[in-house]
Amino acid sequence: MPENPSVSFTGASRYVLDEELAAIVNISMALEMPLLLKGEPGTGKTMLAHAIAENLGMPLIVLNVKSSMKLVDALYQYDTLTRLNDSRFGDSDRNVSDIEAYIKMGKIGQAFTADRRTVLLIDEIDKADTDFQDDMLDVLDQMEFDIIEIDKTVPTKHRPVIIVTSNAKKDLSDPFLGRCNFHHIAFPDPKMMRKIIQVHFPDIDSALMESAVETFYRLRELEGVEKRPATRELINWIRALRADLDFKPKQLSRGEVPFLGVLFKKSQDYQRASSVVHRRKLF
Amino acid sequence: MFIDFFYTLKDSGVPVSPTAFLTLHRALKTGLIGSLSEFYTAARSILVKSERYFDRYDQVFAHTFAGAELPDLEGLELDEMARGLLEEWLRNPREMADALGIDEEELQRLTPEELLDYFKARLKDQEGEHHGGNRWIGTGGTSPVGHSGYHPGGMRVGGVSRNKSAVKVALDRRYRDYSLSGPLKASMMNEALKRLRHLVPTGPRDQVNVDATIYQTMKNGGEIEIVFDRDLKDRLKVILAIDNGGWSMDPYVQMVQTLFDYARAQFKDLKTFYFHNTVYDALWKDPSRYKQPVRLEELTRYDPATRLVLVGDASMAPYELMAREGSIYIQERSGDPSLRRLQLLAETFDKAVWLNPVPQSRWDYTQTISIIRDIFPMFELSIDGLEDMVTHLMSKTTS
Repeated sequence: MPENPSVSFTGASRYVLDEELAAIVNISMALEMPLLLKGEPGTGKTMLAHAIAENLGMPLIVLNVKSSMKLVDALYQYDTLTRLNDSRFGDSDRNVSDIEAYIKMGKIGQAFTADRRTVLLIDEIDKADTDFQDDMLDVLDQMEFDIIEIDKTVPTKHRPVIIVTSNAKKDLSDPFLGRCNFHHIAFPDPKMMRKIIQVHFPDIDSALMESAVETFYRLRELEGVEKRPATRELINWIRALRADLDFKPKQLSRGEVPFLGVLFKKSQDYQRASSVVHRRKLF
Repeated sequence: MFIDFFYTLKDSGVPVSPTAFLTLHRALKTGLIGSLSEFYTAARSILVKSERYFDRYDQVFAHTFAGAELPDLEGLELDEMARGLLEEWLRNPREMADALGIDEEELQRLTPEELLDYFKARLKDQEGEHHGGNRWIGTGGTSPVGHSGYHPGGMRVGGVSRNKSAVKVALDRRYRDYSLSGPLKASMMNEALKRLRHLVPTGPRDQVNVDATIYQTMKNGGEIEIVFDRDLKDRLKVILAIDNGGWSMDPYVQMVQTLFDYARAQFKDLKTFYFHNTVYDALWKDPSRYKQPVRLEELTRYDPATRLVLVGDASMAPYELMAREGSIYIQERSGDPSLRRLQLLAETFDKAVWLNPVPQSRWDYTQTISIIRDIFPMFELSIDGLEDMVTHLMSKTTS
C-alpha cells in the first residue's frame, strides 16, 4: 500500500523474520501481488501468514487446499439441499425464490467481501490439481469472480494480502507463477535457529540450547532419511527434553539422544537414526 | 533501466518474462527499494519463479553489479563432465592418458585450469564424432566435484568481489543446492503419479447425487426423492516390471525402490515382476528371478487395458537384445530374440512404457536404448519424465 507507508511488516511476537523475507513481503504488499512461498516443510511458510496478520492487525483467512478441491468450493457454495428442503417444508424465514440467500461464501469469497483488508493464506496449493491453479488465474488477475447461479460478479472490497504456499519441489504452472512474487525459504541456519528457539523458550538454558541445536543439525545430516526433522520437531523435542526432569544437556554431547521419536516420525527413519545414535556414530 | 541485467538473465537460461520486468519497475517506483541489497531481494522475488534458478540469478547478479566472472553457462554440463575428467585424471593420470591417447608428461605440466580447458575441448570434439562406449566419461560426469581442494594451487571461484553486501550474498551462491535436480522422493512421486487413475463407480450407493435428486424431485412434483450414487474408486490395472539384475542398475536401486514402494501403496491392482536387462521367455514374480516365472504367453491373457510399465536402464550388449539365443542365462532359451518378445508385450498392451533411470541426455550414447525406444515410448525416471509418462498413459488415443 504505497499510499500508506506506515503499514509495513516488521515481524511478530512468535515469528523470527529475516530481513530478506520482510523486504519481499513488503514489496508484494506494495505491488498488491500474491506472494508464493516454497521451502521444506517446517521452514515457517504457514507461520509467516499468521505473523503478518498478527503484525498488521488484519484478520487471517486460511484456505487449506485439499486434493479434491475445485476452485468454486473456495469461492462460494450454493446450498441446493437447504433450498430444496425449504421449498418442501417452507418452515424457514429464507425466501426460497431468492437464490442469493442460499449462496455461502467460501474462504476466498470471504476474503474478497470482508469489510476490511484481510490476509488470505492459500495453504499447500500444490495438493490440488493443476486445474485449480489455472482457474485461480482469472480470479487473482481481476480480483473478482462470478456467481453463475445468480449471474452476479463479486469484486473485492479490499484487496487481501495473499500468501500462497507450496511444498512440492515441482514447479507450479508458468502463467500462475507469472502472477506471483516468489520466495524460497531456506532451512534456517544454526544461528537463525537459536533465535527461533529463543522466541519460543525465552527462559531456555544456554547449555541445553547449544547441545540441542548441535545434535539436531547432526541428525538432520543423516544419510538416507526420508523425512528430515524440521523446526516444528526441534521445538517439540526441546519441549520434551525440558519436561524430562532427569535429563541433563551433557547427555547429548555424550551421544545419548532421548525422545528420538519426536524428531523422526517415519519408522524407517527412526530405526536408522536410533541405530546411528546407539552406535555412537553421531559424535 | 537494468535492461542488460534482464537480458543477461534471459541468456543464462533463467526464464524471465517482460511482464515480470515491468512489475520490477513498478516496484522500483514504490520507493521501497533503497539499496542494492533491497534491489537484490526484490528483483529475485519478482523475476525468478523457482529456487532452481536462484543460483543462476546469484551469478548473473554478481556479474552485472560487480563484474564477477560469468561462467560459461552453455557449456555447464560440459563443465561438470570436464571436472569429472579432471578428478579422474588426478586419481589415475596414467590410465587417463592412455584412454585419451595423449602423453602423460605433457599434461602434467598444465595447471588445473588449463587441464580443464583441454578436457573441455576434447569433450566438444567427442560430442560430434564419438558414440557409445567409453564409460568413464558418463560416470565421471555425474560425480559432483567441488570447486577447490583437489590441487595444491586451488581453483579460482567467483571472481572479483567488492564490499557490497548484496553482491557478497550473491557471490556466496547459497542456492547452489537447489539448482541440481534433487533425489526423487515418495512425496514427489505422489505429485507426478496422482493423475494416473481410472475412476469407476463401485461399492454401496451412499453418495447423494444432487443434480439427479433435484431432477427426480421436480418430476415427482415436489415430493423429495433422493438419488444415491456409488463412490468412485480407482480401478486402474498396472503391471510394473523392474530390471533388478546386474550392476548396471545398482546406482538407481534407491530410486526404483521409492517408485516401487509408492506404487505398492497407491495402486489397488498392481502386479510386480522382475527381469534382468531385457525380457525373454518370462518375467519373474520373485525378486531373485528363480522360483516363480510367469511366461509371457500368460501375460497376453491379461486385460489389454492394463498399463505396463517397464523400469530399467535398457543398457546391455546389443546381442542380448537382437540375437536369438541372446540371454546371458543358460536356462532361458526361447528361440526368439528378446526384441521380438518386447514387441509382443508392446502389441499386447496398448499403454506400455519404458521408464529409464538413466538421464535422457545420455540416451543417445547407448545403442540398446535407441532400439528399445523404437518399441516402447521411453520416459526418464524423474519428476518431469513421470509426468510425461502419466500424460501418455492416460491419453485416449493409442500410440
